[in-house]
Amino acid sequence: MSFTGAILQVENLHTHLGDQWLHKGINFSVGRGEVVALIGGSGTGKSVLLRQCIGLTRPSQGKVRLFGEDICALSGRQLNQVRSRYGVLFQEGALFSSMTVAENVAAPLQEHTRLPLKLRNELVAMKIRLAGLPMEAASKRPSELSGGMKKRAALARALALEPELLFLDEPTSGLDPISAREFDHLLRVLCDSLGLTAFMATHDLDTLWGMVDRVIVLYAGKVIANGPVNEVAKLDHDWIRAYFSAHSGRQ
Amino acid sequence: MLQAMTHASPSLECIAAADGCVLKPGGCWCIDELERLDQLLTSTPVPHDCRLKIDASGLTDLDSAGVMLVVNRLRAQGVVWSNVDLADFNAHQLDLIQLVAERLDARGQPRRRRSALLPLLGRKAAEQIRAMVSQFVFFGRLVEAVSEVVRRPRLLRLRELTTQLETVGLNALPIVMLMTFLIGVVFAFLLGVQVQKFGANIFIVDGVSLAVTRELAPLLTAILVAGRSGAAFTAQIGAMKVTEEIDAIATLGLSPIQVLVLPRLLAIIITLPLLTFVGDVMGVLGSSLVAHAQLDITYYTFFERLKSVLPASTVWFGLAKTPVFAAAIALIACRNGFAVQRDARSVGEYTTKTVVQSLVAVILIDSLFAIAFPEGGL
Repeated sequence: MSFTGAILQVENLHTHLGDQWLHKGINFSVGRGEVVALIGGSGTGKSVLLRQCIGLTRPSQGKVRLFGEDICALSGRQLNQVRSRYGVLFQEGALFSSMTVAENVAAPLQEHTRLPLKLRNELVAMKIRLAGLPMEAASKRPSELSGGMKKRAALARALALEPELLFLDEPTSGLDPISAREFDHLLRVLCDSLGLTAFMATHDLDTLWGMVDRVIVLYAGKVIANGPVNEVAKLDHDWIRAYFSAHSGRQ
Repeated sequence: MLQAMTHASPSLECIAAADGCVLKPGGCWCIDELERLDQLLTSTPVPHDCRLKIDASGLTDLDSAGVMLVVNRLRAQGVVWSNVDLADFNAHQLDLIQLVAERLDARGQPRRRRSALLPLLGRKAAEQIRAMVSQFVFFGRLVEAVSEVVRRPRLLRLRELTTQLETVGLNALPIVMLMTFLIGVVFAFLLGVQVQKFGANIFIVDGVSLAVTRELAPLLTAILVAGRSGAAFTAQIGAMKVTEEIDAIATLGLSPIQVLVLPRLLAIIITLPLLTFVGDVMGVLGSSLVAHAQLDITYYTFFERLKSVLPASTVWFGLAKTPVFAAAIALIACRNGFAVQRDARSVGEYTTKTVVQSLVAVILIDSLFAIAFPEGGL
C-alpha cells in the first residue's frame, strides 16, 4: 500500500443545515490502526459528520479525504472503488430485510469479488461466526433477530470485504451492557488483529474508557477536544465535565 | 483489501523436517488472492500424522479470509489445529489466527432451510388458519368499536373522518369522472354499431343506461377506489405499525380500531355511493355524446328516451351495492394494514394483497347481487 498518511482527514468542514451552520470549521484526522470515537451532545451533527465522511452527503464547505483522496472531487466510479475499502455499521443495522443474514453478508462479496460460490459461502460462514453469531442465525431474516444480533449481522456484512476502515454509528446503542462490552471487545480484537481503523460516533462512556484510542469532542460546531480519553476527561469545559460525570454517580 | 496493486503473489511450500513437517506460506494471504490460495492449499499435500509447524517468515499480508482458508483446508486434510505450531507470526497475526480458529471451531456452513412437501403443507395450512382467526378477531374488535361509537357518538373522530372523506372522495372525483365518461363512450360506441345493424338506433339509450347505472359505474368506481384508497389504507396503517405508532395509540388508552379504522370505513362507505352517482351521470353523458355523433340522436331525444326507459329503481339498485363494496374494501385494507410485520418488505406485500383481495371481493359481491336479484331494479 503506497499511502501511509492519515486514513481519514477532515479539513475545515462547514455544514449549512436549515438556516444555521451545523459545523463551523471542523478539522481532524485518523491514522492507520487507530480507534477513534466522536462524541457530542444530541443535535451537534455527529451523524451528519459521519455521513459526510462516508460520502453519502456533501459538506457545504471543506474537504473529506479518505485514504488521501478528496471524496467530494471523485467521480461516482472512483467513489465506489473507495467504498469497497471501508465498511459501515449503521445504527439500526440497515440489514436488507428481504434477505437472510447469510445473503446480507454475501451481498458485498457478490458485488465486488468474483469468488466461486463455495469459497464465498465459506467466507460468509466465517464472518458470521467472527461477528459472534451462532450458525443458526445465518438462515434467519433480520426481522427474526434481536437488536444485538442485528448489530452483529451488520458487523459481519461490514467486514465482508476485509475493509481497512470501519465506520460505526452508535455501535452499542440498544445493547444490554454485557452484549455491549462483548461487542467492544470483539471490535477491539478485530481492529488490532486486522489492522483495522475504526471511526465511530458513540454515546457509550464504557466504550470510550474501554477500547477507544482517541476521543474527538464536537461542541457548537467545532472540535473542542481531541486526545486520549483520560486527558479529554480532565479538560476544564462545562459540557465535557458534565458528560463525563453523567455516570459518576454509580462509580 | 480490494486493491489489485502491490501485493506479492502467494506461495506455499511444504518441507519435511526431522521432527515433522514445516509449512512455509509466502506473499499475500488475503481475500484478493483467495482463489489462488485455495488451489495452493488443496494441491499441497500435508501429512497429518506428524507434528506440523507453520513458518510465517515469508508472509507479507494476512487477513481473516486467509486464516480461514488455512484453518479449513488443513482441517479438511485431517490436521488437528491445536497441534500446529505457529512460528514467526507477529502478535496481531497470532491474535487474528486464534480468534478465527476458535470461532471456526463451532463447525458448519450456513445450512439452507430444507422444506419437504409435508411440513410445507402443514406450515401453509397453519398460516391460513391463523390468518382466518386473526380476521375474525379483527372483525370482532371492529364490531365492538362500532357498538361503542353508537352508544357514545362523541368517540367518533370527526377531524380524521373529514380528512378521509376528502382524500377518498373529493380527490378521487376527477379520475372517477374521467374513467366512467370514457367507459360510457366506449360502451355506447360498441353498442351503437350493433343497434345500427337492426335500425334500432333509439334502443341504444335503453342498453347504455341500464349497463352504466346497474353495473359499469358501480363496479368501475369500486375498482378505482380499491386500488386507490384501499392500497393507501394498508400502506398507511402498515407504516404506522412499522414505526410502532399503533402501539403508541394503544398505550394512550385509545383503540387503534376506533382511531384508524372507523373513520376510514365510514369515509369509504359514505363516498363510494356518491362517487358512483357521479359516475352514472358521466357515463350517460359520454354515451349521449356518441349517440349524437354516431347515430344522429339529438340530446333532447336521448334524454327524453332516458326518462321513459330508466326507472329510478335501477339507479338505486346500482347505488345500493356500493356501500357493501365499500365495507369490503375498507375491511380488507385495514386488516391487511394491521397484519404488516416490522420490516420494509412486508408493507409492499400486504398492499399488493389488499388490492388483489379487494378486487376479488368486489367482483364476488357484485355477482352475488346479480344472482340474488336478477330482476332487481328492472
